[in-house]
Amino acid sequence: MGKSSNRELGTQKKSKKKSKVGPDALAMKVKAPKENPFETIWSRRKFDILGKKRKGEERRVGMARSRGIEKRNKTLLKEFEQRGKSSVFVDKRIGEKNEDLDEFGKAVLRSQRELQLRSKLNKKSKYNLSDGEEEEDYEDLEIQERDDFEDEMISDDDDAVETRDPQNNSSIIDINNNTRISGEEGEPNKHKSKKEIMGEIISKSKYFKAQKAKEKEENEQLLEDLDEKFTALIQSKALLSLTEPRKINSLEALVNKSIKIEPSKKDSLSHTQKIDTSTEDKPDAYDKLVKELALDMRARPSDRTKTPEEIAQEERERLERLEEDRQKRMTAAEDSSDEDNENSENPLEDRPKFPSGDDLGDSFSVSEETVRKKGWIDEILERENEEDSASGDGDASDDSENSEDVDEGSDEDPDEDENNLSLKDWEQSDDENIKLNLEDEEEEDSDDEEESKKEAEQHERINDKKKLDTAVPINAKAKDNVENVKKDRDYSDTKKMDLGANKSSAKPDIPYIIEAPKTFEELCSLLDNCSNSDIIMVINRIRASNAIKLAADNRKKMQVFYGNLLQYFAVMANKKPLNFELLNMMGKPLIEMSMEIPFFATICARQRIERARKQLVESLKNPESSCWPSSKMLFLLRLWSLIYPCTDFRHPVMTLALLLMCEYLMRCPILSGRDAAIGAFLCSMLLSMLRQSRKFCPEAIIFLRSMLVIATEKKSISGEDSAFYQLVELRSPKHLLCMQETVNEIRPLNFIKMVDTPEDSPFFSSNDFRASALAAVIETLQGFVNIYDGLSSFPETFLPVLTSLCRVEKEKNIPNALRDKIKDVAQLIKSKVDEHHATRRPLQMRKQKPEPIKLLNPKFEENYVKGRDYDPDRERAERRKLYKQWKRESKRAASELRKDSAYLYEAKNKEKALLEQEKAEKYGRARAFLQEQEHAFKSGQLGKGRKRRR
Amino acid sequence: MTRPYGVKDRKRKKKEKYDAVEDEEAEQIEVKRAMIENINSFEEEKPAEEAQDADVADELEGIPLAPSDHNTDKSKVIFVLERASLEVAKVGKSYQILNSDDHANFLRKHNRNPADYRPDIIHQALLMILDSPLNKAGRVQAVYVRTEKGVLFEVKPHVRVPRTFKRFAGVMLQLLQKLSITAVGKRDKLLRVIKNPVTQHLPLDSQKIGLSYSSQKLVDMNDYVTTIPTNMTPIFVVGAMAHGKVETDYTDEFIAISGYPLSAAYCLTRICAALEGKWKIL
Repeated sequence: MGKSSNRELGTQKKSKKKSKVGPDALAMKVKAPKENPFETIWSRRKFDILGKKRKGEERRVGMARSRGIEKRNKTLLKEFEQRGKSSVFVDKRIGEKNEDLDEFGKAVLRSQRELQLRSKLNKKSKYNLSDGEEEEDYEDLEIQERDDFEDEMISDDDDAVETRDPQNNSSIIDINNNTRISGEEGEPNKHKSKKEIMGEIISKSKYFKAQKAKEKEENEQLLEDLDEKFTALIQSKALLSLTEPRKINSLEALVNKSIKIEPSKKDSLSHTQKIDTSTEDKPDAYDKLVKELALDMRARPSDRTKTPEEIAQEERERLERLEEDRQKRMTAAEDSSDEDNENSENPLEDRPKFPSGDDLGDSFSVSEETVRKKGWIDEILERENEEDSASGDGDASDDSENSEDVDEGSDEDPDEDENNLSLKDWEQSDDENIKLNLEDEEEEDSDDEEESKKEAEQHERINDKKKLDTAVPINAKAKDNVENVKKDRDYSDTKKMDLGANKSSAKPDIPYIIEAPKTFEELCSLLDNCSNSDIIMVINRIRASNAIKLAADNRKKMQVFYGNLLQYFAVMANKKPLNFELLNMMGKPLIEMSMEIPFFATICARQRIERARKQLVESLKNPESSCWPSSKMLFLLRLWSLIYPCTDFRHPVMTLALLLMCEYLMRCPILSGRDAAIGAFLCSMLLSMLRQSRKFCPEAIIFLRSMLVIATEKKSISGEDSAFYQLVELRSPKHLLCMQETVNEIRPLNFIKMVDTPEDSPFFSSNDFRASALAAVIETLQGFVNIYDGLSSFPETFLPVLTSLCRVEKEKNIPNALRDKIKDVAQLIKSKVDEHHATRRPLQMRKQKPEPIKLLNPKFEENYVKGRDYDPDRERAERRKLYKQWKRESKRAASELRKDSAYLYEAKNKEKALLEQEKAEKYGRARAFLQEQEHAFKSGQLGKGRKRRR
Repeated sequence: MTRPYGVKDRKRKKKEKYDAVEDEEAEQIEVKRAMIENINSFEEEKPAEEAQDADVADELEGIPLAPSDHNTDKSKVIFVLERASLEVAKVGKSYQILNSDDHANFLRKHNRNPADYRPDIIHQALLMILDSPLNKAGRVQAVYVRTEKGVLFEVKPHVRVPRTFKRFAGVMLQLLQKLSITAVGKRDKLLRVIKNPVTQHLPLDSQKIGLSYSSQKLVDMNDYVTTIPTNMTPIFVVGAMAHGKVETDYTDEFIAISGYPLSAAYCLTRICAALEGKWKIL
């Protein structure tokens, strides 16, 4: 009874509280569907994001709040209420905890329970008080109930199994039967005993064993069967056709043919035989390949490329071999040569046309020729490639004769044509030709010098002609030189061989191995009385036999030899009848040698240049003598310009050479026409040297201008140019290039010829010379204009030259061709000056570029996901994440606590209010009672009433 | 009786911060106004602090390399780009800026017209403004962009806008989610989502000019620019949408600068060119 009263009280309390808390309390649930309007409000999303699911987002704030309060009612409030209590009232009534049940349900449960208890408990225990174990009983009861239910199910079980699986595996049925039997034996529908279970297991295992044995047997039988079949197959032909399909294919073709002839029976019988025959007849392509590969030669490595040392060694060995041969011939051939000569008297007549046809430059006696003939025959056997050698031979002889190309030479002169007979020609040539050649030779035999002179003349003539054709100025000579050198290089390989071969036969006393001469005299004695080509050959042999690569001391030898050779070159260049062709040919070995010993060659060149400079200074002190460089110096300068690169900004040799040349141009007085010509030549040489590097050389331009000045008549010139004119006056008192008469034709100057002619020859004062010198000057000037057009000071450099040019043009005696040329150059200068003037910008104040504002790149992540930390430092990111989590948790806890305290505050308030109300009620009641008493007292009913009541 | 649960501490904090920024701006505006007033009396004083700084720097260099330009008129221009179509959506698993090329099917699925989603317009427009010599000379004060959804953000003139659209979309995506974009290696905020309406960010002494093809007032931009008084900051309001019209209440007038409908980018180039011509920026 107490229980129920207490409960009632509790509920009363609750309901009271709830009514005070508001509509959103637990009572709402109990009292049912009176909805809190706040709970129906959903939280609204501010931005609707397309494609984002609304799932987690929706929530009802009011609902959440009321739920929180509800939760607190259940937990916090309970605790609060029991804060002062030492014991707890536990409600164990049936169904009371289950909120789903209504009163009626609870009542049903209770009555059911009572019934159960009644049925279960025996009569003897009927009067026993329960020991407070109602719960357990209750549970048991439940279990019993369940058991009853299950029992029913089990009773159906066996039948169900049977009906359910009629089509099941026989084995399973067997098992079932077994179990059935066992079950029938024991008690049906009861739990099987341990024994039964064991028996079941045993029977099962037996059954499986039997099954296994059976399977095994079957497998064996199958295997046997297969074996039998396979043996049968092997005996038949089918397998063969499978393993060797190709052979069968090839066979089939054969079989098809044979089928026509042979009956099919035979075919089938002799099948295996046929296979054999067919394989024999037609070997497989693959087999063939295998055999081929087996028989194939193995690839062998080719000879490795030889090192320069080895090449040098080979060359030396070759020469040694040849020397030996020569020595042998020297001793033994004297006898045999006669015989040979006698024997080949007639053929000799036929044969000698080859060397004689080619050879103009060298003096050959008849006797020499015979020997050479024989040597040549020997040589010819040694030659590997006849044609090459022949053409090389032709070239060599050409070189010895003049430095023209083979092709060009043939066009120029009938004589040349004869001389340039190719190999075929001399093979086919008839007697006439031979005679002619012989005559030639006889003529040439007369004197070495004469010959060379004549040769030079011839050369010049050709050169002249060529110059006329191509209108090449003086420096064409230099060009020729270069060309020749190039040509030399081109043919160097064959020539080396053939020069050696050919000339060895021509001059048997040139040994193959020559020690490098130690002094200049030695060299001179070695080279004296040698033809040009012989000299070259000697030089080449010396180089080959003393190659630097061969021995250590050869370097020193070669250095000495180089010095001597350079000296020889210089001497040859200074010779009055100039052997230009020899100089030309010497260029190549000199260049090559200076490559080999660059350091020594550079020292030589520098010393020579220094000496030349000293000489110049010396000669400048003496105003009478001409201080212009000698032909030797000119040739040396040219040689160096070929050896060393002219384009280097600073070069140990070329810088000096250039400075020297400039000094010549600047300081040497121009006293004669020859001086002017040499100066012009120096200018053109400078031009060729500076063409690539485009270095500015004011000396050359000033010289050219002064040349133009001395080409005009003497006039007093006022103005800005007067100073320059006075200077020019000082340098060359006479106006050397001023033409007195008109000249019809301008011939390009021939430098070689000019060098040869003595200084005081009338040629230098002729108008012809003047015109041609002027033409050369103008040509050179044009070259300078062309290479200096990139200079920003071009107008300042060339405008004075232009005025001088114009003055020259106005001269009356200038030939028309020259006038045109001058006009052209003047026009060129003018146009270029204009160009430069056009490109010049006026002077400007330097303006500061406006400074643009500094732009900054935005920092952003690709595939940005909101909330992810993009810190590259993982640890820090992790720490931050944890911190965030901690902060969130602590905040949540704080808010929870806050809410709790607020709730408790409210609860306390409510309690207080309740108490107060109660108090007030009590007070009111007491007061009412007192008032009533007072009222009664005052009204005088106090005694009466009591009395009455009593 | 009960205290409300949501204590607004944090929010207030945020607001304060924001207000501080605004206050700063307001202060600047005030300072500027004061400066403008002072200009009449002190000709040499520069209107803005930056200009002063620049001058100081020049003086420090010592030798005057070029004759100092005497035009103290350093007025700047503001651009407002209305109705930019920058909308973030969750496509698949990731968030993306919607564009008509890549998300046509997605948009159709959600019953949107793909033709309206053209973030490339705002990309081009921003490139045109920020790459112009006008901006390089520091004469663009700010660019404000308002998206179709109503999000307003400010673009600082010293932003180097990503050249490729993909990267631009990445920046915009981050901006719309994170609400601000900083510079690489600096804390300087280059892009920032700000509070509507845009008028509270605009200077008071400004002439707000809307551009619309539909406007009756067809002007030659070069001539029109000269009519803007020097003490007024010109503000150009240009639409960055594919179709439709800019409808704003704060613009003083609407002008048309061509007889033809122009693209936003070209329209902006023309404005920039006109201003460059006026201010002699080469």
